[in-house]
Amino acid sequence: MADDEQLSAVIVDDHPAVLAGVAHWLSSGTPPIRVAASGHDVRVAWLGEGAQADVVILDLHLGGPTPVMGELRRLVEAGRRVVVYSMRADDAIALQCLELGALSYLTKAEGTEHLLKATRAAAAGQAYTAPSLAGALAGDRSAHRPVLSARETEVLIQWFQSQSKEFVAQRLGISSSTVNSHLEHIRVKYAMRGRAAPTKAMLVARAIQDGLIQLDDL
Amino acid sequence: MRLALLCIVGVVQFGLCVRPLIEFEYQPRWVAAAAFTALALVTAACAVWVMRRKPMPAAVVVLGTAVTLAASAGATRVLPPGGHFGTPDWSIGLVGWHLLLLLLDRAPALLAAMAAHLTASVGQFMLSGVHDRAEIGAAGIVAFGTAGIQLAVVPISRMLHHRTRQAMSVAAEQDRLITRVMAAEQWEREQRTVFAGQLGVTLPLLADLADGVLDPRDDDTRRRCSLAATQLRRLFAENDEVPDPLVHEVTACVDEAERRGVEVSLAVSGAAVAVPPDVRRELTSPVVATLAAARSQARVSVLRTHEDVRVAVMADVDIDVVTPISAQVVVDCDTYGEHVRMEARWLTTNS
Repeated sequence: MADDEQLSAVIVDDHPAVLAGVAHWLSSGTPPIRVAASGHDVRVAWLGEGAQADVVILDLHLGGPTPVMGELRRLVEAGRRVVVYSMRADDAIALQCLELGALSYLTKAEGTEHLLKATRAAAAGQAYTAPSLAGALAGDRSAHRPVLSARETEVLIQWFQSQSKEFVAQRLGISSSTVNSHLEHIRVKYAMRGRAAPTKAMLVARAIQDGLIQLDDL
Repeated sequence: MRLALLCIVGVVQFGLCVRPLIEFEYQPRWVAAAAFTALALVTAACAVWVMRRKPMPAAVVVLGTAVTLAASAGATRVLPPGGHFGTPDWSIGLVGWHLLLLLLDRAPALLAAMAAHLTASVGQFMLSGVHDRAEIGAAGIVAFGTAGIQLAVVPISRMLHHRTRQAMSVAAEQDRLITRVMAAEQWEREQRTVFAGQLGVTLPLLADLADGVLDPRDDDTRRRCSLAATQLRRLFAENDEVPDPLVHEVTACVDEAERRGVEVSLAVSGAAVAVPPDVRRELTSPVVATLAAARSQARVSVLRTHEDVRVAVMADVDIDVVTPISAQVVVDCDTYGEHVRMEARWLTTNS
């Protein structure tokens, strides 16, 4: 599915300005990401070139007040790697998207840098935790939330507060890559609970391969 | 009321009854004297409780009533011929006052005793011989006249009681109102003091500007103005009725910074929890201080986790930001190059 030379993405959003802006950000990234298709209907992700794209960038509110959770679930079940890009910073919806198997949840207040990183990570089957999502995870008070270590919680909170991994690393006295592996570990913990999804299984499998978690942790 | 009755009894007995007792022939005289003494003793006994303004015990009332009625019967029995209901009959009016004094609060018993007293008097009057119509008429006038006046005391006393109770409840209500007014005034004075305290640096700043001590073109003056403005905006937001007061206050601070041209990103996560106003004040004061000093960019975040509430701000600042002193929240301040990070943390589990 993945193009060896260039990653591709399909953008689903009901605002033409957002479609144009996101397409511009992706194509002007280094290396650029090809926009396979874009449109205001989720159909573009299922048909034509969009069906072959590596990553689906999905707006949750497509012309209506209700988030399109059903569309997200169908895409994830079909093995598509989805980055949710939403207008609203709603913790509950962000957590629900992770539960369904989205690899990233970004708010539109988070700009080009996070979108490019999230898209690249998703193309590689990896999760990306943006600051707003870190806040949602840190503020998760649901009964079935996974148990995070004190350090993991601190990483989430600092990342949410500062939006800078260098700052988090400096403050906690660890390297930036350790910050990333903490964030990955947290996402694996979230992927291991709740309903099954191909993308979640992929995250867990990768974490085992990388030695991030042991088989016993399952 | 009882005190007045006691006085009446005293005046009537010693002022009006002594004379006929001495002037007329009673057969035998000692019975009349004994009756007079017995009635005087009843009065004295009543005075013990009346003067102390305490209700008389039932035993005293029963005994007193019995003695009074017996004295009345005795005194009437020894009247000289033709003396019934006339001047020699000193006891006919006096006994009624005694009964009133004893039984004022027991209306049915009073009526019964009065009826017994009148019946006994009328009975003895009838037994004392044959009377013409004029005599019967005169006797009737005396009997009904005295009894009527005496019984009228009962409704008068009741009405007075009723009015007294009303007056007392009105007075109590007025007292309560006065207390409430005073409490409200005190509250207002306290609010003024609190508000003046919360105005923080505003009042001295305005005074200095007005006196010309400070130059509005000076950077430091401008920074002090921006701090005062942020404090005021937060203060105005403090009493608004909103679902999430903490975020509302933080937003007010962010607004003020944005008006100055600082680019602020605000992020809020975690469901709202109730935070007391004084804790909110302490949680937001680092935001106020840092945002007022921010040069061009700031990141403000509010996070509610299962154990704490954290309000953090990161900004590029030129000057040293004074860390606010807090009693209930932990304030953490670090400097990284030109960036200052301040975080106020309140443990919800402690509250």
